[in-house]
Amino acid sequence: MEPLLTGGIDVGSSAVKLVLMRTDGAGREELLGRRVERLRRRDPLEVATRCWHDELLPEAGVRPDEVAYVATTGEGDRIEFRTGHFYGMTAHARGALFLRPGARAVVDIGGLHARAFTIDERAKVLVQAMTSQCASGSGQFLENIARFLGVTLEEIGALSRRSEKPEKCSSICAVLAETDVINMVSRGIKVEDILHGIHDSMAGRYVRLLLTAGARGEVLVTGGLAADTGLVAAMRDDAQRQGSTLEIASHPDSVLAGAIGAALWGAHRQRVLAKRGVVLRADPA
Amino acid sequence: MSQPAAAALAQLVERAEALAYDVEYSAVRAWKERHPGALAIGFVPVWAPRELIAACGALPVGVVGGGDKVEIIKGDACYQSYVCHLPRSVVELGLNGRLDCLDGMLFPSICDVIRNLSGVWKLLFPNKLSHYLDLPQDFDPEIGGDFFRAELAQLVELLVARGARRPTPASWRQAITEHNENRHLVEELHALRREQPWRVPTSEAYVVARAGCVLPATEHSALLRDYLALVRAVPRAPLDNARVVVAGAFCEQPPLDLLKTLERAGCYIVGDDFLLAPRFVRADVPLEGDPLAAIANTWLAHAQPHASVWTRAGTKGDDLVALARKAGAEGVLFAAPSFCDPALLDQPMQEAACGRAGLPHMHFKYSENSGQFQGIREQAGTFADAIKLWSGA
Repeated sequence: MEPLLTGGIDVGSSAVKLVLMRTDGAGREELLGRRVERLRRRDPLEVATRCWHDELLPEAGVRPDEVAYVATTGEGDRIEFRTGHFYGMTAHARGALFLRPGARAVVDIGGLHARAFTIDERAKVLVQAMTSQCASGSGQFLENIARFLGVTLEEIGALSRRSEKPEKCSSICAVLAETDVINMVSRGIKVEDILHGIHDSMAGRYVRLLLTAGARGEVLVTGGLAADTGLVAAMRDDAQRQGSTLEIASHPDSVLAGAIGAALWGAHRQRVLAKRGVVLRADPA
Repeated sequence: MSQPAAAALAQLVERAEALAYDVEYSAVRAWKERHPGALAIGFVPVWAPRELIAACGALPVGVVGGGDKVEIIKGDACYQSYVCHLPRSVVELGLNGRLDCLDGMLFPSICDVIRNLSGVWKLLFPNKLSHYLDLPQDFDPEIGGDFFRAELAQLVELLVARGARRPTPASWRQAITEHNENRHLVEELHALRREQPWRVPTSEAYVVARAGCVLPATEHSALLRDYLALVRAVPRAPLDNARVVVAGAFCEQPPLDLLKTLERAGCYIVGDDFLLAPRFVRADVPLEGDPLAAIANTWLAHAQPHASVWTRAGTKGDDLVALARKAGAEGVLFAAPSFCDPALLDQPMQEAACGRAGLPHMHFKYSENSGQFQGIREQAGTFADAIKLWSGA
């Protein structure tokens, strides 16, 4: 089959993730370009548009009209140049399968919430469970904690893993947990022990979510917090403590899972539409 | 051409939205100032004989609730918590004086709540015309037809007694002609949306159609004509969206943001039952013969199947499947207002019909003043994905 170039744009609450992919429709799928841009209070649509047109495509040497399908996910449903939009969970499921073909469950931990779901070998979502409204299970929460502690997000994982005596964080409420953290700082608790305690508290919630969704076997952590090695390690420890056989893993491109999945679904849809003779182009008035 | 057309289109939609959601009914007040002594007659969903009202020299005004523009303070006193939202906001609009420009209100017989609202209206506004309009449930022209003709004749007398002019052959002809034309244009709007939904987003088509609630038929027809010309002149790119029909939202209207949410979630709405008044009867009212009999018999023969209209046992939902097929829909979204008896009672039968026809469907509820749609967005998004990826569409 003819190789296709497709794009995936995942607009999240704290970052925009973009990928360019090439697929041949016979199982060969290649990630040609990637971009993660933190929003830092900028307009996400503007950031996505600029990153796509001015950075990702020129870097890959690809013209916009060479891209057969631009698929959005997350909050990308207002991007004008999209061809189609996929719901976040659908996109993360497909992206997870690309990154880890054996994965049969995904936990997507984003800036505002976390969601666990099981998938089949086609990336069809089977069962899902999501955190409640409380922000304690979110990346934003961890970002706030990092700010209180004066560390960068990138440092969190390594610091947490250095901890020898994690301090238990007694609350699952973001507001109260932040109070806990302030108290810990006043009590002179080491930063790494605080972070490990926070990671343990969050990891417990995610593992419970996974078990609620009926997860078994390989699990891929996706979303922004997948890059937090301390959190992933804490999830593995928690699963072990609970006697679960979950094999929890992350991937260097886990943060891009939504964008990758969207691009791959876009390629699939493009081929389906082509078979039906449907061309999605702006029709001249 | 396309740049000025795009700007003109945006302006037109903005104007239509302002008209559609103006709870001060400024357009109606302006019309009354231009027509001293003429009546303005409101009607709640789903249908009223607009031709008849216009033939009496009056302005038919669709009153479809206050949406999220009205804070309910007094309206709640009239209704229990298990009653839908529309009557509360209509009462609120009335008690706040926003409907003072109306000289009367018609309440078509579509459910117990509307019947109750007609009674509440009589008590609250004893000096205004308040009429419960019985719709026929017998489709024999000699039974249901005669009954309905008599109902319509009584309505003419009620309007004349309130100061409306008695219709003349010329006023009948003009009113019927204008409303037939308006019906054609509304149908053209929906047909274009069915064929090219990317040209006619429902969130636009809806406000353009809803503006007709407060405009005379000729003015609304001009608005429709302009809109149709502009959307045909502005290039818009099609999206890879799932084509869906929305069913159940015929009385209490869905918030505009809900429609935008569904579209953003990846759905093209290619069929719906919003704002049925101008399309409830799917045929022209003949200009020949007795106009009252013409309206009554056209209604009997061509009123669309609906929760408020008797349907032969075992056929409920067939019309919805037919509508979905005609529109090339790949799925049905059942969107009923909370506590809407007619919509929710029909829904299981309609869902069964969709199931038999192999039409994917899902359902959710809303209220006219709902402001949070994240849950619906997720439902609609996964539904659209399921259609696109797993239904073989």
